[in-house]
Amino acid sequence: MSDGVFAVVGLFDNAQELLQAIPRVRARSLGRVEAYTPYPVHGIDAALGLRRSPLAGMVLVAGMIGAATALFFQWWMTAVDYPIVVGGKALFSWQAFVPIMFEVTVLFATFTAGLGMLFLMNRLPFFGHPLLSSKAIAAVTRDKFGLAIEAQGEAFDVEAAKTALTAAGATTLEVLPFQRELVPLQFMTRAAMGIFVSCVVAGYAMYWVIKLFPVLPPMVHMEDQPKLNPQKASAFFKDGHGMQLPVDGTVARGPLPYLIATQEEAAGLVNPLPRTHRVLQEGRTVYNQHCAVCHGLLGTGTPSLTSAYGAKPANLQGQTIRDYPDGKIYHVIMKGKNAMPSYAADLTEEERWAVVHYVRVLQRAQNARDEDFQ
Amino acid sequence: MQSEAVLLPEALQPPTLFEGPVTLGSLDDQVLQYPARKPPAAWYLAFAFTFTLMTLGFSFIGYTFYMGIGVWGNTSPVFWAFDIINFVFWVGIGHAGTLISAILLLFRSRWRNAIARFAEAMTIFAVMCAAIFPLIHVGRPWVTFWLFPYPNQRGLWTNFRSPLIWDVFAVSTYFSVSLMFWYLGLVPDLASLRDRTKSGIRRFFYTVFSLGWRGAASHWQHYERAYLLLAGLATGLVLSVHSVVSFDFAVSLVPGWHMTIFPPYFVTGAIFAGFAMVVMVLVVVRETMDLKNLITAYHLDVMNKIILAMSCLMGYAYLMEGFTAWYSMDQYLHHIFMQYISGTYGWAGWLTISCNVLIPQLLWSRRIRRSYVGMLFVSLAVTVGMWLERFVIIVVSLHQDYLPSSWHIYKPTLVDFGILFGTFGLFFTLVLLFARVLPVIATSEMKVILPGAQPAHAGGRHE
Repeated sequence: MSDGVFAVVGLFDNAQELLQAIPRVRARSLGRVEAYTPYPVHGIDAALGLRRSPLAGMVLVAGMIGAATALFFQWWMTAVDYPIVVGGKALFSWQAFVPIMFEVTVLFATFTAGLGMLFLMNRLPFFGHPLLSSKAIAAVTRDKFGLAIEAQGEAFDVEAAKTALTAAGATTLEVLPFQRELVPLQFMTRAAMGIFVSCVVAGYAMYWVIKLFPVLPPMVHMEDQPKLNPQKASAFFKDGHGMQLPVDGTVARGPLPYLIATQEEAAGLVNPLPRTHRVLQEGRTVYNQHCAVCHGLLGTGTPSLTSAYGAKPANLQGQTIRDYPDGKIYHVIMKGKNAMPSYAADLTEEERWAVVHYVRVLQRAQNARDEDFQ
Repeated sequence: MQSEAVLLPEALQPPTLFEGPVTLGSLDDQVLQYPARKPPAAWYLAFAFTFTLMTLGFSFIGYTFYMGIGVWGNTSPVFWAFDIINFVFWVGIGHAGTLISAILLLFRSRWRNAIARFAEAMTIFAVMCAAIFPLIHVGRPWVTFWLFPYPNQRGLWTNFRSPLIWDVFAVSTYFSVSLMFWYLGLVPDLASLRDRTKSGIRRFFYTVFSLGWRGAASHWQHYERAYLLLAGLATGLVLSVHSVVSFDFAVSLVPGWHMTIFPPYFVTGAIFAGFAMVVMVLVVVRETMDLKNLITAYHLDVMNKIILAMSCLMGYAYLMEGFTAWYSMDQYLHHIFMQYISGTYGWAGWLTISCNVLIPQLLWSRRIRRSYVGMLFVSLAVTVGMWLERFVIIVVSLHQDYLPSSWHIYKPTLVDFGILFGTFGLFFTLVLLFARVLPVIATSEMKVILPGAQPAHAGGRHE
């Protein structure tokens, strides 16, 4: 028998001779027969009895997966996760998704064809094949045609294989021994240790360099503009204020300054607005925009915020607030209370009083009396 | 076969795809010797020139990053100018490579085998040049990853109804596919190079990148199948990428852009400009690298015929643009079309038509198709003309929008030109490097069409 022998390879001068030799060598059934050529030779697949390449089917499937993936993600992103109406189109306007579906189809199919061929079908990269360290390799990637009988099974015998190849017309013969260990284990261990140590050293070096030499200021993008920043002096005016005080003798317009300091003092204020349909409508709009996010649409103080952040906004339906005079509610809107900030800057005076009316409406609606149903 | 050829008139004889005796071995010796040789002085001179140009271009890009894109000529209402012109121009240049490598493979045009490798390389370099422009045009190049839909803490996704996002997908897919196609073709050649090179760092790189290719028949079988599949896929791409680029314009409502003719018109223009570039570069390569026996006059002749055909199509497209403007009875479209051929930028319109439609008509003459001066003149004219065409489409359509009070004459700045010429520097630097380190002709593909390469029993000629 022939231990340590991978194959016997014979070289032929042209494709014609190779193709005629293949059936003769295969007829002896000494082992697996493989041909090595510098370019694809027609008819060799059939001569070697190779099965049809399954790549086309794989590419078809990959392409369909690509199309489905693209369609699914575009649907999910635009119609489910971030639904925004663009140009009056339906959320799932699939016609607009076709270009990207096409591109992703081609991408998936291409990678399947290319990488599938190299990695799955041909099992490359592989640097340990015995042919690669033979003399024959330089000939078969240039202008010669190799035919190898591989040592598989009991029938194989080096001398028989040589005879078979010579009889078929091979000019040069070479016995391919099995490749010895390609890379010694010791070298691999040392290389791995080296990589590990350099990573650690580079990481620490980078850490200390950044810590000791903070030369690059971080990018601030939009913040770095000539504008007035809160809590910062302005270079524009001499006194450093961004906004100047009105000149002496300026007559105020609009609402007068709110000078009431405590909620008790505010109790005496009277709502100046009439309870008309228009005023209540305005109150509802303002309440839903500004108040409902914490106090809830019905004023019960149990909106989504409570569960998400553990906040406890006041229950406007509670007895305390139902007993408040209008002025006290108004004062809370002006000054804020506990965690609630002031809404003086956000709402006009009319809007504040309109909200007070609307809060009363909410309270009445939740605590209706018998006569309200008549 | 031989006796038939004698009887046939010259026009019907099979073309000569190489001159003189070429064998499997001599082909390798001729093409694969270059990576091992020291380049001549002229190469260093050319490299120094293109490298300087590239460096200048990148300096201008750096200046743009530092100052902001206000240093360009772009201003209201011409927000798209040189950057988008150059992007469309370079993407177009790439299309010839894909056409040669993919569509001509499917058509079994055997002359493609000699020039496919170089054309594919040019595709990749051209797409790299093109990709620079959208990235710098966004103004903040460090956040260009926002172009891709990725999960982020802002909970936002890109708008998939925008042609601009289609463009991102189309161009990145195009680049990946072209690179894959090019690399797969290189693997057998790298294996040949590996086995020619005795030792050294170059052998190491050839060994790693040839992936241990050994030319096994069972490998070639999958390889050929994969190559054919890739050609089919790339054929779809070559038609789709410039169509998607044209959607950037056609899907908008700007008069002069909003036309259904745009996708075929852009694809034709892309192939046109790309072939002109391939002809120019191949003439230089053929002369300086002594490849006259492999890239023959016939090759240049066929490419010039394609340029001529594309030029006629461009003429049709220009006429159709004018017809559409007239037939639409839309006064805005009338106005913009008149701006193409008269007004401030009228010269650009007429120069476009001359360079792209009139000058290429010279190629009807066989003598000009086979003369260097003739084909270089036409190719240069086409390159200039195709760049100007995008200028006309983009700038002229934008500079007078629906609101006359915002009309504005666009003037490019030095930085605009610096970046444009810088990308030419980048492109030719990469071309020069490629010519010296990798095989410029796909030897494994050339071997297929050499005489006696295929066993005769199958009958007839195979590719």
